[in-house]
Amino acid sequence: MNSLLLALRALRREWRAGDLRIVLVALTVAVASLVSVTAFVDRSRQALLRQGSEFLAADLVVHSSFAPNPLWSEEANRRGLASAQTTNFRSVVVAPSQTALAEIKAVSSAYPLRGRLRIADDIVADDREAVGIPTPGSVWVEARLLTLLGIGVGDRVRLGSRGFFVSNVITYEPDRGGVVFSIAPRLLINSDDLMSTQLIQPGSLLHYHQLYAGAPGEIADFRRWLIDRVKPGTTVQDADSASPRFSDAFKRGGRFLGLATLVSMVLAAVSIITAVRHYADRHLDHVAIMRCFGASQQQIITIYALQLVTLGLLASAVGCVLGYAGQQVLAFLLSDVVGIALPAASLRPAAAGVVIGVTALTGFGLPTILRLKHVPPLRVFRRELGPPPPGLILLFGPTLIILVGLIFWMTQDAKLAALVAGGSAATVGVLAAAGYGLIRALAMTANHGAGASWRFGIANLRRRASSSTLQIVSLGLGVMAMLLLTTVRSELMEGWEDSLPPSTPNHFLINVQSNQVSEVAQFLRQQGLKPQVASPIVRARLLQINGSDVRRESYEDPLARRAVERAANLSWAAELQTDNRVVAGQWWRPGDRGSALISVEQDYAHALGLGLGDILRYQIADQEIDFYISSLREVTWDSFMPNFFLLVPPDLLSPQSASYITSIYVPRSENLTLRHLIEKFPNVTDIDVGAVLQQVRRLLDLISQAMEYVFVFTLAAGIVVLYAAIQTTLSERRKEIAVLRTLGATRRRISMGLVAEFAILGMLAGAIGALGASVTGYMLARFAFGVQYDFDPWMWAFGIVVSALIVAFAGVLGTRHLLQSRLWDALQQT
Amino acid sequence: MALSIVTEPIVQVVDLVKQVISPEQELTILDGVSLSIEKGDSVAIVGVSGSGKSTLLGLMAGLDLPSSGVARLQGVDLSSIDEDGRAQLRARHVGFVFQNFQLLPGLTALENVMLPMELVGLSEGRDAALNVLDRVGLSHRLRHYPSQLSGGEQQRVAIARAFVINPSLLLADEPTGNLDKKTGKRIADLLFALNAERGTTLVLVTHDEELGSRCTRRLELEGGKLLPQGT
Repeated sequence: MNSLLLALRALRREWRAGDLRIVLVALTVAVASLVSVTAFVDRSRQALLRQGSEFLAADLVVHSSFAPNPLWSEEANRRGLASAQTTNFRSVVVAPSQTALAEIKAVSSAYPLRGRLRIADDIVADDREAVGIPTPGSVWVEARLLTLLGIGVGDRVRLGSRGFFVSNVITYEPDRGGVVFSIAPRLLINSDDLMSTQLIQPGSLLHYHQLYAGAPGEIADFRRWLIDRVKPGTTVQDADSASPRFSDAFKRGGRFLGLATLVSMVLAAVSIITAVRHYADRHLDHVAIMRCFGASQQQIITIYALQLVTLGLLASAVGCVLGYAGQQVLAFLLSDVVGIALPAASLRPAAAGVVIGVTALTGFGLPTILRLKHVPPLRVFRRELGPPPPGLILLFGPTLIILVGLIFWMTQDAKLAALVAGGSAATVGVLAAAGYGLIRALAMTANHGAGASWRFGIANLRRRASSSTLQIVSLGLGVMAMLLLTTVRSELMEGWEDSLPPSTPNHFLINVQSNQVSEVAQFLRQQGLKPQVASPIVRARLLQINGSDVRRESYEDPLARRAVERAANLSWAAELQTDNRVVAGQWWRPGDRGSALISVEQDYAHALGLGLGDILRYQIADQEIDFYISSLREVTWDSFMPNFFLLVPPDLLSPQSASYITSIYVPRSENLTLRHLIEKFPNVTDIDVGAVLQQVRRLLDLISQAMEYVFVFTLAAGIVVLYAAIQTTLSERRKEIAVLRTLGATRRRISMGLVAEFAILGMLAGAIGALGASVTGYMLARFAFGVQYDFDPWMWAFGIVVSALIVAFAGVLGTRHLLQSRLWDALQQT
Repeated sequence: MALSIVTEPIVQVVDLVKQVISPEQELTILDGVSLSIEKGDSVAIVGVSGSGKSTLLGLMAGLDLPSSGVARLQGVDLSSIDEDGRAQLRARHVGFVFQNFQLLPGLTALENVMLPMELVGLSEGRDAALNVLDRVGLSHRLRHYPSQLSGGEQQRVAIARAFVINPSLLLADEPTGNLDKKTGKRIADLLFALNAERGTTLVLVTHDEELGSRCTRRLELEGGKLLPQGT
């Protein structure tokens, strides 16, 4: 109790004396930037999840081939969740002169729960967001169904025993993204009309989708409730498991945001450590006097630990408020730029901010505080006596443990956390050694020919070799973190921009027969379009893996189940496409043409538990062929190029057994060209993925904007590191500057010395930070993001020059007031 | 012929007042002090703690400015020039010796002594520093840092630093205050010997009567006022 009172009293006095300013500012800004970034990341992730939900038209979908249990929807209602239902089946649609097979979808009035349908008034008109669903008696149809039927909007069609009026062209269904390759065109009807078609008979092949939406926590609870109750043959899908075509973008975007969180956490940690160390150093005299007056070591530790906790709570609270306000402003700006309103932030970042503020301050501060108990009381008489210097393990050990713990807690991503923590730890070690070495080396050369200002600057650095090293480490880490974020961000953004240029194909033409491939291509070229090279597709059913029959029931994974129960699309290629990368084994050599080798996409292989050397038996037409897995591939699904889970070498399968797929970019105004193509080649099916492409572009926009803003936050955190580092040297500098001025140094001379010192400091930190960023960037690009990492010498030049400029500017700004202070007062204080 | 030159006092203060404003009250540290010091003088300013001795020294060197009154150094009114002007004046004409030495801890003895020469851009700084360090008996300690030197040695480095620019005025604030009696006497001997050798004007603040008595003039401050001079 006594210690608590003493601690609070000391805190109040130090507040009055201004000693707490640095710690408070460092901690407040660190927490504020951390809360901003995590809250913003939280909201962006929710928005990404919503986009995932949009691909489902709901947060949770139950797929089944039998009518859903009405109890599910009752339970959902009881839990306050929204629900809707769609019934999907294939049927023939009859028009006066033609008939065509269509994918019928009967939807209930609440559909879609997430995302919006888009419709147009006719085949070439601009589309718009739909309000509601087709009214009873009317249908919305995909443009190609109109083409196939030879009718237009306003005409009538018959479905089963009921006639319908075609009121609109449907251009976009949010939940169509995952099944872009469905063969038949869409016809959407109101579920109230379903029974009157008399198409629903016992034994009809129907697919029911039960859709639910609500708050993330509620949905997760409901999902758990459902999983225990659904019958076999039912699939429960949530936003996370939405189409793999988009999951790469999600994963990488999410990982970048996670990285940004980590970077701000590392920066926050660095500024807190710097500030606490300074705080403790300033208290050596206080502690010596307290020890002189009989305070026990235990008391000293208790008092300072209590001070840190109180300080931590205070600064964290203020930081949380500032952080929330900051991210709110940016989220508002962002919603304008991208056109997506971000969901509200949860309270988790605030809780995290307070926990991290207090934990980090006490955790990072503790090793330093523990040193205080070793301050000899004799320091009262001999100021040069201090506590023994902290051991590296004591100083960095607990820090690293806490940092790694916090990183795991925040990101839930072990790989990313391990890479960043490992990278930071290694960088700290290298930075410390290199920084110290460079300072010594500089000092040795300083006497030869350097100007007085530079000599001053270098002497200053050398004089404080250990604190200069600490500053280089802090700044270097900051520089590293920011360079890392910049390069990873630009690598990702460039990768995306490259992968989705404006001419990205927005139409797929499938079912092209082998003898039509060149004719179709010629037709399109005559219309001024540029079709991609056609890829063959062969339908193949998986029968055995390594001699054992495959059974659907053996697999939990939906992808594996689909692989087993449906025929797969298999293709052949001589060369590896640019959006594919071999991750195991090797691509076939020219001599392998005609061999029964197979290259399997890695997620597909993982779902089925396949590895190199396994033998897969596929049935292709009436043939059974054993394939030897010679390589595993990583596929960039969001490239919008035709891609395949399974590839075999050329000359193995007969070209006549295949149909072909090609992709093409068609401006909306040219849609009639495709209509003519279909008329000329009626067996060819056109699939319009323009709306899906648009959606992916919006998603990438959101992620890249989020990156920009998060980057600004981390930059702020980096500046705080610099501020804290400069503040720690102020009292020492005050004395020096006073002595120099007394001896007749002009302010200009002293300023130049400071500029030189800070510029050298910045250059060293920049060089070392660039080294750290190159190594960690390579590791991240290689292992976390799966993108190509190009070594960039400009990053070094940029790191060194910009770091020198910023540090020199900020350093002079931070010490300028020392030059303005009253000389006599400064001398008296020292 | 020399007699025909009318020399200006090296230091002249007229009606000097220094007040500081604390939260509770306004404190007058110096209250209407006037004096002048001629070239070659050695002056001791004595008085009890808090009498304003060090403040007066600071004002004479332009380290601080008076609340009212005039302080002239080498005939220049220190209030009429800016801080950098005062710094240049100090760099060329004034040497300092402090009670707490005020050596820069990261510079060696030699570098500390070279510092004032470097500040005025004198290229022969190293030789001059070596000479004066030899004169104070520290040739064997050139590469030692202040923390590796005893109190007496540190003060000898400070004296060397003060004399290296051949100042016309040497200001010493309690130069023996932090030293034991024996060491203090040696330091004082050195100070007066160098002062005599180089013809420097010496102004010494001390409450050590014995040290004060070695000066040619003795000024006593009490409560911020100069007492009538006895000797």
